[in-house]
Order: sequence, then C-alpha cells, then structure tokens
Amino acid sequence: MFRIGLFVALVVLASCSTTRVIKPLDKGEKQIGASFGGPAIIFSGAPIPLPLTSISYAHGLDTGLTLAGGLHTTALLFGNAEIDLSLGIRVFESNNERFGLTASPGVHLFYGFRGNAFRAYPQLEGIGWWQYGEKNHLLYGGLGTWVELVREKAHSEVQQHELMPYVTLGHQFAGAKWKWQVEARYIGFNYSTDNIVVEYLGPFPNGTTGLYVGLTRKLGKQ
Amino acid sequence: MRRLITLMAIACLSTSCLKLDSLLYSPYTDIESYALDDYEGRQEIEVGAEYAIPESKQHLFTLSSDPEGDAKEIWALYIGDISRIATDTVILYLHGNTGHLDLYWTRIKLLANAGGSNRFGVMAIDYRGFGLSEGPPTEEGLYEDADAAMKWLKENGLSDDRLVVYGYSLGSAPATEITANPRTMRPSKLMLEAPFASDEVMVQDGSGLTMPGDYFSSLQIDNADEIKKVNVPFFWIHGTADSFLSIETHGEVVYKNYEGIYSEAHRVEGGEHSDVPAVMGLAPYLDVVLEFIER
Repeated sequence: MFRIGLFVALVVLASCSTTRVIKPLDKGEKQIGASFGGPAIIFSGAPIPLPLTSISYAHGLDTGLTLAGGLHTTALLFGNAEIDLSLGIRVFESNNERFGLTASPGVHLFYGFRGNAFRAYPQLEGIGWWQYGEKNHLLYGGLGTWVELVREKAHSEVQQHELMPYVTLGHQFAGAKWKWQVEARYIGFNYSTDNIVVEYLGPFPNGTTGLYVGLTRKLGKQ
Repeated sequence: MRRLITLMAIACLSTSCLKLDSLLYSPYTDIESYALDDYEGRQEIEVGAEYAIPESKQHLFTLSSDPEGDAKEIWALYIGDISRIATDTVILYLHGNTGHLDLYWTRIKLLANAGGSNRFGVMAIDYRGFGLSEGPPTEEGLYEDADAAMKWLKENGLSDDRLVVYGYSLGSAPATEITANPRTMRPSKLMLEAPFASDEVMVQDGSGLTMPGDYFSSLQIDNADEIKKVNVPFFWIHGTADSFLSIETHGEVVYKNYEGIYSEAHRVEGGEHSDVPAVMGLAPYLDVVLEFIER
C-alpha cells in the first residue's frame, strides 16, 4: 500500500512552495528564486517531504508593492501547467525597517494537458517579519489559505471544505548575493487526514506539516 | 500567455510526462514458487485448521492472457474439483494491489469453505506483474487477466448463472469492469469488499481539493461509474474504520450508485481495510457470503 500512498501524496500541491514575498521589494528591484519541498508523509515507514519544485520571479512595481510569479516544475513533469501569481503589499513597516507586515493575495492556476482540465485556487496570505543582524536576516511567520471555488467533487459528491488554511514559520538567511530560506508549514488544520489513502506526518489528527527550502537572488538594483 | 502554455506543453511532451499509474500496484515478485500453506510471509488474515484445503483440491497452473497482442503467461489457482466445474458454482476471487496469491491464500481458503468444505469452487489469479505472472501490471491487463480466468472456467464447463465474481480492494476494479461490460462470461452476482470509487476520489481525498484525477494518472478505473451498468445482484462489505479506502468517500459512493435489481450492504464496525472477515468473525462473514450466493 505504500506505493499507492505515494501516488496520492504526490498530487498534494497545495502550499507547494516557500513564501514568494516576505518583505516587498523596492521599486524596480527584480528577484529570481527557486523552491524545493512539500508536505511530509510517511513512506515505507520513513518521513519524507514531497519533492515539489518551482522557480519564481518577482518585480517591485512600486515601493511596497511587488508582483511575483512562479512556475511549478514538478507539476510540469506530470503534464500539468501550474503557475502562481501574487502581489506582496506592504501593510506596515516600522520606521527602522526592522518589523513589518505583508499582505499577499494571489492565485494558483492549473491546467492539465492530459484531460484539458483547468482549476483556479485563489490564495490569501498575511506575513509578519522581523529583520535582524548586520546581514538583515529575516524571521517570519504568517497565516494563509487556499480558497476552493468548485463545490462538486468526483461522482457529484459535495466538497465540504471551502478553505485549505496553513500557518507558516520560516527564516531567510541573507548572503552577499543569494538569500536562502527554510520554512515549515502546518497545512489543512481544518481537514481530517484520517481514513485517506496517504499517511501524512503531523502532530495532530488533522492536516499535515510541510518543509521547504528556497533560494532567491536580487537582480539589478541592489 | 499562449507562448508560455505552448512552452509548457513542449516541455511536458519532451519529458514524456511522468505518470503515477504504476504506483497503483504493489506486487511482490521475489518468489520462485507459490507456497500457499507453507507461506511464512504476512497473511491478510489468519484462519484455523478447520478451513484447511486438501492438497488434492489445490490446482496451480498458468493461463495465457492476451490483451491486443500483449500476451503474458499468468498464474492461476483453482480450489475444488476441476471435473465438477460443469456443475459447481464458482467464485472468481480478484485480489488487492499488494503482494501475490500467497498473501491472499487464507482469504481464498475461507471462501472455499463457505457453506461447508469445497461447497463452491474458488478461482484466483495473479495479475500480470504479480508473483510469478509475467509482465508489468497495467489497467487493461487487470481486465484481460480476469477475462482469461473466465475463458478457462468456461472451457471447463462453467455457465454464466454459476459464476460469482468477488473483488477485494484493487480487485474491485476488474470485478466491476467485467461485470458491467461482460466479455467472455456474464457473471450472475458481484461481490465487492472494500472497493475504491475511482483514482479521482483518491486524489481528492489526498489533496483535500477538487483536483481532477487525470492531472496525475491516465487510469480509467471508475468503479463508482461502472457500477451503474451492473444489473446483477450486488453484495458490498466494508470496514467502518478503513484508513486506506474510506468507507464514506469510496465504498458508500459505489454502493449508492448501484441501480440494479438487488443489493445488500455490510458495514463492519471497526473493520480496517484488510481485516473485515476477522473483525466481523469468520463464521458470520461466511454466513453472509453464503446467504448472498444462495439467494
């Protein structure tokens, strides 16, 4: 049964990358990035994070307003186009630029080339961050959710869940050119994972935990 | 945007698009022969000596299964007197997604004892890629291999009215398919234990979202839809504590979609995916099996 568990686990793309915009870029700034990781499952008795990968690009439209987009490369390998688009909006920033709040509305778009099926999942996220040290490392945490727009599941069953919420805790290490981040998530805490084909890893009966690493680099204006 | 989608399609095609179909199957192939009573590995359920089958009633042999030119030699097991197939009722047992025939031997013995020792003949197969059967497992192979068993039964004198198909877990797919869309034979009754509704339900259970199943596989297995075509009497049994294929999202959907002439449901309180006969009690389990077959 382990293999069939992996079958389903690999389709769990919700919350499938690191946070795209923690602290909005300045106007004109550009940033590229890559993310690896996903929800954790028990596979053959061992915990593993799912190997979901994506690449991203972000552009500072204005000071405190960033547009970000990502292409999900693991999904692409399975014959599906998945892209995410989001805005990073500065809600609050302290005068010394040490603390801030970022709101991030966005959407995940899926298109399956095999069955020509399209899905859109709006996403809302709020991130609080603390910038510290000489190198301006970032500690951040937040709350977000995917929104389910389709009300009917397979075989005309009713989709009971309108939201797939998650909490995030992460850290971004700032280097001279590159920044890398490690992030943990607790996903779907409103969703019972009892009696489903995959064994998710988590401290509670509901939802699952996820582990992600990301790498970003600013281009142009530094 | 059109350029981006075209680029994605090209990238997808150039990597031949990964699919998860093969992960549906978990066969064991590390055996040189079938052990049956001497098998020391994990058994799905334990049964006592009172369910023993004399060696003279155990017949292991091979069949040729040939879905559109992809001929494979698969292994089959018949329990009972082959010479009496022309007059006996026979249960065709289609096993789950893990292992090989040895893992299901105790289940097969149980069914061979429904209504008394060898009251019914029982036939089981290892699908292609399972145990000693040749080739990789495929969805079409499941159906063709089950049909190959039916061809053998028909050649030995079995008539449609004495054929009962019993599918457990993954076996619910070929059981439902060949009953809904008869090939060599038209089964007279369908029995499903812990069936799954479709791979799409697995995907949606696992993701919590309404993602289409074909995002990740090209499997066409859809018992919840195929069961609508089944018009023969239908028996469904499922554990309420099935943590693998949820009774609510899988079994109940299949049962609800049956529109035929007679159905009965057995929701076994506390039963997990693979222990329903044991949790229900072996004798009560065999009683309901017998009652359904004889009705």
